Amino acid sequence: MPFVEIEGKQVEVDEDGFMTDPAAWFEACAYYFAKGEGIEQLTDDHWKVINYLKEYYATNGIAPMIRKLCKETGIPLKEIYELFPSGPAKGACKLGGLPKPTGCV
Amino acid sequence: MSTETAKGLRQPKRANEKLFRTLGIEPVPDEKKVEEAIRHLDDFRNKLRSFVVTMENCVKCGLCADNCHTYLGTKDPNNIPAGRADLIRKAYKRYFTPQGKLFGPLVGAEELTLETLEKWYSYFYQCSECRRCSHTCPFGLDTAEITMVGRQILFWLGIGPQLHTATAGAILKTGNHMGLTKAGIIDTLEFLAEEIEEDRNGLKVEFPTDKPDSDILYIPSSADFMLNPNTLKGAGMFFKWVGANWTMSSRITEAGNFGYLMDQTRIQREMVTRLYEECTTLGIKKIVWGECGHGWRAAKMYVASYSDLPGVAKIPMTHIHDEVAALIESGQLDLDPTRNSQKITLHDPCNYVRACGLCDQMRVIMRAVTSDFVEMTPNRERNFCCGGGSGVLFDDPAMYEYRILASNKKAEQVRETEAEVLCAPCSICKAQLYPMVKEHKLPVEVVGLIDLVGHALVFPEE
Ligand code: SF4
Ligand code: SF4
Ligand code: SF4
Repeated sequence: MPFVEIEGKQVEVDEDGFMTDPAAWFEACAYYFAKGEGIEQLTDDHWKVINYLKEYYATNGIAPMIRKLCKETGIPLKEIYELFPSGPAKGACKLGGLPKPTGCV
Repeated sequence: MSTETAKGLRQPKRANEKLFRTLGIEPVPDEKKVEEAIRHLDDFRNKLRSFVVTMENCVKCGLCADNCHTYLGTKDPNNIPAGRADLIRKAYKRYFTPQGKLFGPLVGAEELTLETLEKWYSYFYQCSECRRCSHTCPFGLDTAEITMVGRQILFWLGIGPQLHTATAGAILKTGNHMGLTKAGIIDTLEFLAEEIEEDRNGLKVEFPTDKPDSDILYIPSSADFMLNPNTLKGAGMFFKWVGANWTMSSRITEAGNFGYLMDQTRIQREMVTRLYEECTTLGIKKIVWGECGHGWRAAKMYVASYSDLPGVAKIPMTHIHDEVAALIESGQLDLDPTRNSQKITLHDPCNYVRACGLCDQMRVIMRAVTSDFVEMTPNRERNFCCGGGSGVLFDDPAMYEYRILASNKKAEQVRETEAEVLCAPCSICKAQLYPMVKEHKLPVEVVGLIDLVGHALVFPEE
């Protein structure tokens, strides 16, 4: 598996550049992956989404249904796509250190 | 090797060796790959009559070319169904026919090389296994079967897309493609029940999971838990309306079967084994399948022959569309079609109409639950694939571009109907059509069929 260097630490990622171990995430990871996604700045709304994803994942071991994400963060889907151009399931998960969703997405 | 380095071939990002090892596959070193592939081809030709028939009989009439959406979209001759099958056929001739052994290229025979295997990887993952070619071919030659042989051999060699291989990993771990956990499943279902209660005037719908002594086991697509909530809700409302004693199972929350799309042995069998174990545990009398094209084909056509448990193989299995259509025809559902009054068209999932005989049922439902239904052309068994079939839902740039090209024909069909809503009752179709309508700038909303049923069902307590 490939590794990337974030703030001097070696972080393992999969073939799609997603972290393989969500527990190894630290804040600088979000900034690092944001760059790759073409996201210039992380706003409060970005963090709201990322934090909710991480929290949900920690409890449930999976990313939430997209509609639930919108409802709980109060950010409509359209705006989530503006925040994370490759979408909530892919872009936002990547920044939060969640694994890439598999299957029919 | 990645997309960029494989000699100008369009290829999906591939899984690494570590991932293959978690599936029990030790990747074959390059110097052994060709030899191994030939050995597997030899096995297939001894086992699989459909393979031999397709290898021996193509007359290169060219009829299949304009009937394959991948060729229409890319104009790449290797995407002509006969061209795709030729990637194996040339080797078949070279090693297994007397003329090929003697005259080689003169009779279209060619040595198998690593380069050809790279082409297999490229073109067998551009085929959606939609079978439109076999419907057109005067001999009924089925290139989808050849694609399956090609993908299976590649899998055994340790070559496969990251997407399919990682999904296979999720299957072994959780019994579903998305890697849904029981906690996630229950939380999502509670959320959906709340949504229904809010939207439908306090209507209470239960979504039982792992409930013992259930009569019906409903098998949803795991993607419905992430992307298609209305399909799940529709199913829940339908079962409530008919008063079914039903459940879902957290051990097999998956209507699809990526094993069928890549490894029709170990991975495909895993799903079947789980299915039957759960039927036994929960006392199931009938299995009802959710919206998933390839998954319904894998279930309807392959499950019985994959089951090692002959007793449970007798449990009847139907598709939720069969159930709904039958009750509509016998006048047992109270439906209000004006609740779905937008102009709506239906995309026929290839696997339903060309591999499962599920076709008229969708029309029975459409006419009963919508008020402005318009067919696209061509339709039914002549319909074109959405371009995402067999899980070619890749998002690396070259393959994403391919997906959109492969959906040109579908976009044209949808545009001609001037519909506002596009009903696509298959999870892969949905996952393909959400971005497809955006890229082709089609002003339509993509929905499932059971979504519409749920919306149209009239409950006395509402
Ligand atoms: S239609 Fe059939 S016989 Fe004709 S080229 Fe295609 S596969 Fe071959
Ligand atoms: S199965 Fe479908 S995608 Fe594959 S070659 Fe035939 S028509 Fe083309
Ligand atoms: S994804 Fe849908 S349209 Fe495409 S092959 Fe499967 S069933 Fe057909």
